[in-house]
Amino acid sequence: MGKLKKKGQSGAAINYITRNQALKKLQVTLADFRRICILKGIYPRQPKNKKKANKGSTAPATFYYTKDIQYLLHEPVLKKFREYKIFVRKLSKALGKRQIGVAQNLEKNKPVYTLDHIIKERYPSFIEALRDLDDALCMLFLFSTFPATDKIKNETVDNCRRLSSEFQHYVMHTRSLRKTFLSIKGIYYQAEIKGQTINWIVPYQFSQQVPDDVDFRVMLTFLEFYQTLVGFINYKLFTDINLLYPPKFDKEKDDEAAGLDAYLIESTNISANIFDQSKKPEKTNNDNHDDDGNETDDVKKELTQKKEWEKRLKTLAQKITEIKVQDVKSAAAETQTDDSQTAVINSNKNQLIDDFDEQQSNGKSTSTAENKQVTTTTSTTKMFTYYDIHSASMAESEFQQLFSKCIFYLSREVPRYSLEFVIRAFGGQVSWDPTVGGGSLFDETNEIITHQVCDRPSQKHQFLSRVYIQPQWVYDCVNARKLLTTEPYQPGELLPPHLSPFVEHKEGDYIPAIEDHFDGQEDAMEDEDVKEENEGEDDNDGVKVKESNKIVEKVEDSSSESEEETEEMVLMKELEAEAKGIPFSKYQQKQLKSKSTATSTKPITSGQKTSGQKRTIKEIEAAEEQEVKELGKIMMTKKQKKLYTKIEYGKKKQQRKVANLQQKKRELNATSKNKKR
Amino acid sequence: MARGKTYPVTRKRKVAESEFPNQKKKPLNKKETEKNSKSDITNNAKTLSNKKHDVSSKHEKIAGNQIKGHYKYNRNRYQIVNTLGRFDDEDLEEDDDEQSGLWGDENDSDYIAGDSLEDMTRQQKWQPPNTVGNIPMEWYDDYPHIGYDIDGKIIMKPAKGDELDEFLDKMEDPDYWISVKDNLTQQNVKLTDEELDIIRRIQMHEIPDANYNPYEPMVEWFTSKPEVMPLSAAPEPKRRFVPSKWEAKRIMKIVRGIREGRIITRKTQVQKPRFYNLWADSDQPRQDHPMHIPAPKMKLPEHDESYNPPAEYLPTDKEKEEWEQMDSEDREKNYLPQKYSSLRAVPAYGRFIHEHFNRCLDLYLAPRIRRNKLNIDPESLIPKLPNPKDLQPFPTTLTFSYTGHTARIRCFSIDPLGLWLVSGSDDQTIRVWEITTGRCVYTWTVGDIVHSIAWCPNKDVCGFFAAFSNKVAFISPFKLCDEEMYVVTNRYVTAGHNQIQKDDKKKSAHWSQPTEQEKELGYLVILDHSHSKTVKQVTWHRKGDYFATLAPDAGNQGILIHQLTKHQTQQPFRKIKGLIQRVMFHPIKPLFFVATQRYIRIYNLIKQEATKTLQAGVKWISSLDVHPLGDNIIIGSYDKRLCWFDLDLSSRPYKTLRYHSMAIRSVSYHKRFPLFASCSDDGSIQIFHGMVYNDLLQNPLIVPVKILKGGHKVVDSLGVLHCEFHPTQPWIISSGADHQINLWT
Repeated sequence: MGKLKKKGQSGAAINYITRNQALKKLQVTLADFRRICILKGIYPRQPKNKKKANKGSTAPATFYYTKDIQYLLHEPVLKKFREYKIFVRKLSKALGKRQIGVAQNLEKNKPVYTLDHIIKERYPSFIEALRDLDDALCMLFLFSTFPATDKIKNETVDNCRRLSSEFQHYVMHTRSLRKTFLSIKGIYYQAEIKGQTINWIVPYQFSQQVPDDVDFRVMLTFLEFYQTLVGFINYKLFTDINLLYPPKFDKEKDDEAAGLDAYLIESTNISANIFDQSKKPEKTNNDNHDDDGNETDDVKKELTQKKEWEKRLKTLAQKITEIKVQDVKSAAAETQTDDSQTAVINSNKNQLIDDFDEQQSNGKSTSTAENKQVTTTTSTTKMFTYYDIHSASMAESEFQQLFSKCIFYLSREVPRYSLEFVIRAFGGQVSWDPTVGGGSLFDETNEIITHQVCDRPSQKHQFLSRVYIQPQWVYDCVNARKLLTTEPYQPGELLPPHLSPFVEHKEGDYIPAIEDHFDGQEDAMEDEDVKEENEGEDDNDGVKVKESNKIVEKVEDSSSESEEETEEMVLMKELEAEAKGIPFSKYQQKQLKSKSTATSTKPITSGQKTSGQKRTIKEIEAAEEQEVKELGKIMMTKKQKKLYTKIEYGKKKQQRKVANLQQKKRELNATSKNKKR
Repeated sequence: MARGKTYPVTRKRKVAESEFPNQKKKPLNKKETEKNSKSDITNNAKTLSNKKHDVSSKHEKIAGNQIKGHYKYNRNRYQIVNTLGRFDDEDLEEDDDEQSGLWGDENDSDYIAGDSLEDMTRQQKWQPPNTVGNIPMEWYDDYPHIGYDIDGKIIMKPAKGDELDEFLDKMEDPDYWISVKDNLTQQNVKLTDEELDIIRRIQMHEIPDANYNPYEPMVEWFTSKPEVMPLSAAPEPKRRFVPSKWEAKRIMKIVRGIREGRIITRKTQVQKPRFYNLWADSDQPRQDHPMHIPAPKMKLPEHDESYNPPAEYLPTDKEKEEWEQMDSEDREKNYLPQKYSSLRAVPAYGRFIHEHFNRCLDLYLAPRIRRNKLNIDPESLIPKLPNPKDLQPFPTTLTFSYTGHTARIRCFSIDPLGLWLVSGSDDQTIRVWEITTGRCVYTWTVGDIVHSIAWCPNKDVCGFFAAFSNKVAFISPFKLCDEEMYVVTNRYVTAGHNQIQKDDKKKSAHWSQPTEQEKELGYLVILDHSHSKTVKQVTWHRKGDYFATLAPDAGNQGILIHQLTKHQTQQPFRKIKGLIQRVMFHPIKPLFFVATQRYIRIYNLIKQEATKTLQAGVKWISSLDVHPLGDNIIIGSYDKRLCWFDLDLSSRPYKTLRYHSMAIRSVSYHKRFPLFASCSDDGSIQIFHGMVYNDLLQNPLIVPVKILKGGHKVVDSLGVLHCEFHPTQPWIISSGADHQINLWT
């Protein structure tokens, strides 16, 4: 017999520690404990058995994982908290004694803590940090719209604005925005960075009403952490694509409310290039040199890269997944080249308009060249899968250049902070009414404008050369991944519904119908439908498949009578089956199936005749199946029964919801039809 | 001034005197004072005759002068005057005082007479000293007096002039500007030159005392010159001339620190960039710790959160109202879908900060638990059972209904050959039916509700026992059998009549012969129980000789075992525990099952001992049946459960099934097929395939195969009351509260 186990010496009893115990162990105040928990990302746990975790007591308590607390014991930040407390005490004492010199000296040596190590500890890899970026971004965007109050310092707000703008610049630069959604709460965005989808919400830009019932100490502690986190992430993101971090901040422009333009995004290569070109006297226009230098460099890089890929493709034909990764990289590289161009464009805006056409043509030529190359590679390798992947990546890069041929002009009444971001993130050119903010590239009368975004019921003077649209068009285009027709979005028109791109429709969900005149989206929806159907067919356990099979069986059942098989043969087969241990009912089914497959070439003519019978047979079948199910339920254990009823309850709830929506839709349709009449 | 105290009378005068010359003849020289004193003396001599003053008043005056002295002390002004100005005079005058003391008070009058007019007015102004002491005088503001004199008499406030007087004073009195109001006496007092000088000095930030010399010559207590003879002759220690070793060490420590870069002085501190590549040296993801539970991500918006959702997502008025009335915690979504005609019309979302604050709280305050979301098909939870089609035969459809009874049918029994069915009902009749045709062959009317009926298992005997009130009667439907069989039956049953009634007293049951009339009807023997309780059950032993009767209310006589052939009755239990529900003989072994409310006790009839107690875990057992092989039993209970016991396995149920929605009334095994059934008050009969294997290691296989519904109506919340399988066919017969017997095939 093994050693007797003592109670409370293993398992939950020592895995968990209550909050009060933790406070006592760490010798900190509750406020300090909460702060350290926020910074270190320590959270309470719910043990499976509270009684066991709390040494037999059932009193309500908050439990922490003991090792979390153990690690806190030697946390440098906690030490700094203590030092700070001592510092405050000393300072107040010095001030009380009017020892100004001592106080100044203390102030100079004030303990300051950094959160760098905590970030590294919480996110050992960069991808993990990206994965947790959602909350951080939401908070930064929220606080960047805050008014400075006694609780929230002006510097904090400025820093938040700065960090969030930097991140937006990165997203624009790398064209990594994927989805946008205008909700009643704010504007949702989804970006895909290094394979991670990052969602965040930005409130509509109104002055925030700072509520009283919110504990800002908590929020500010979170914000402190998030600021550091986003700072490091921004650094890594910027330097990874060879951009200078931190970007230069133009105070004057910011005062003019230039928004994102107040930051000057510079490539780390640019300075080197300028240095190179200064040696070459014959070229005068610096910006053009930059362009050329960059392009040549990048093209060379690409060439070398592509050679490498070809080699790898030949050797590693099976490893399709790796190729995929490479492909993603290539896409990124392509975007990089384009981005370097745009970055330069930003730096010199006066030339932009003149050079625009040229650059476009350049871009086109390069892209066609790439296409050719790629096609050659595909032709040499002749891999269907590779071609697939490639076409997908092409679609992706096309999507990233969605607005590249559009030049937008934003009227006064549309939200510039969002539209500018979205349009530029898809390669569009955008300008705005100068009253909204500084840095607008061209004015309203400029002929090159293709789209004017306005949100007023009627426009006084309309230019024929451009299309007038409501802001929703931009967002819908992004979600539809293509340029939609602009008719339904004309000013003053009743807008088509704006749907969330984040919803993934499952089987049995309500899918809101999309109106007819809406070609682009419809296509997309059809595609989706086809996909779903395919998936359904692929599914071996799919319900549809089963049903269809059964129908066939029934049909064959009636038709098989004509076929003659001697009874002896049947008997023999039955006996064989029995010997194999196949239940009789299954055997029967098998027989039917084999018959059906054998006669599958026959047209279902007899089925038409016996449609009435078929139905009754079907009903009976269904009833029988239902009964078998009922019988099975009898033999379920209590646990299974509970679970089953729970699942059924959830299903029914969902069904009720869908039914409610469908009902509403039907009513709406009826009323609209009546109106038409 | 001890003397002043001794001769206080003179003090007064002295004061007056001292004041008086102050103003006019200052400074006085000694000669003048002497002159004065002399003149005083002469004056005193003149009035010597009047010297005989009353002694009593003298006493008072002494006391009064004491106070006066005190008063003088209080009024510093006078003291200052005295100390500063009149030092010499006083000393000189002391002698005079003594003298004047000798002569009495008359000098006062002389004094008055001899003084100038100015002095006169002063004298008039003088008031008895106030004794209130050094208190804030505003305490007396509301009173007409300002204090008390030495005799305790009230000193009234002096008349105070109005503004006009004040003004006149100002205009006329040249000393007005140097007069000050004395708080104690509430009168104006003129300041002396010395006092004015003090005030002036204070104003000029000088030392108020004119006589104080701040520049006294210094006294050199500690000489600046080295002494000739030093106090200690010890030589100066070396350490006073050598730099400190320890200081050097400490400094070196710091220096080394600076050199090594451990200590960074503020000047040399380089501002590190705030952000750098944190993941430069290692960018490997850590393996997921099993205890780490990452926070769930924020929910992504659905269609109805759009500023312009499809119209069907908008809530109706009713839904809106419901949402608003709901507690904010119960709401499924924290917003109401809304539609705005354009983006311009969208307002700020009021609870944005709150929502993010709540998210923060969730992140650090909410306890996390890992919930494994079961992403399973619910159908996979239903156990895979053999298809019922493979387990045929079993009854599936309603074939016959035997109608005729007019009340609920509590019991029926089938003859061992499976041809006849006998049923007993609440309409106090017993009917025999032909199973295959549904024809009612016999009808007997007994005087009471028939609670139990049991056909004799012996195939040679044609007859059955029926229990009504406290009687059990053996009835033989002689028409149904051939004569030979009837003879055998008659002999079998009535054989005991010859050897009965040895001692009547002890008998718990009385075997009696039926009357002729009854005999004609088919009654062969009637067993009267000595107790008057109703007999609820009759059950046969397999061989058809022994049978047991159960009357649950009859105490220890409730269970009786009878022998039909010998007409004998035994009472197996002297004492009965609990309320007995059912009794049963074991089909093979000499065992006897007794089901109480919660337990089933098994007794060995030969050894006469209890062998086993089975715990069903149900609240109230309703019925019991034993498998024909005898190793398994099933029980039904009023709390909807059916328990299968494997006697070899344990005393607890092998399987407990709960599928009926109402109480189970009866359970039954098929004699030949591996089937068992239960019937319930919900009007349904449930057929199971219950295969028992000879292999001890293999558990019995229980598969539900059929639910027979719709045959019986539920009347007064009673459904199917009894069910029994046909002895040879896979049929089941059931009787219900709707006066019907049904055959299912």
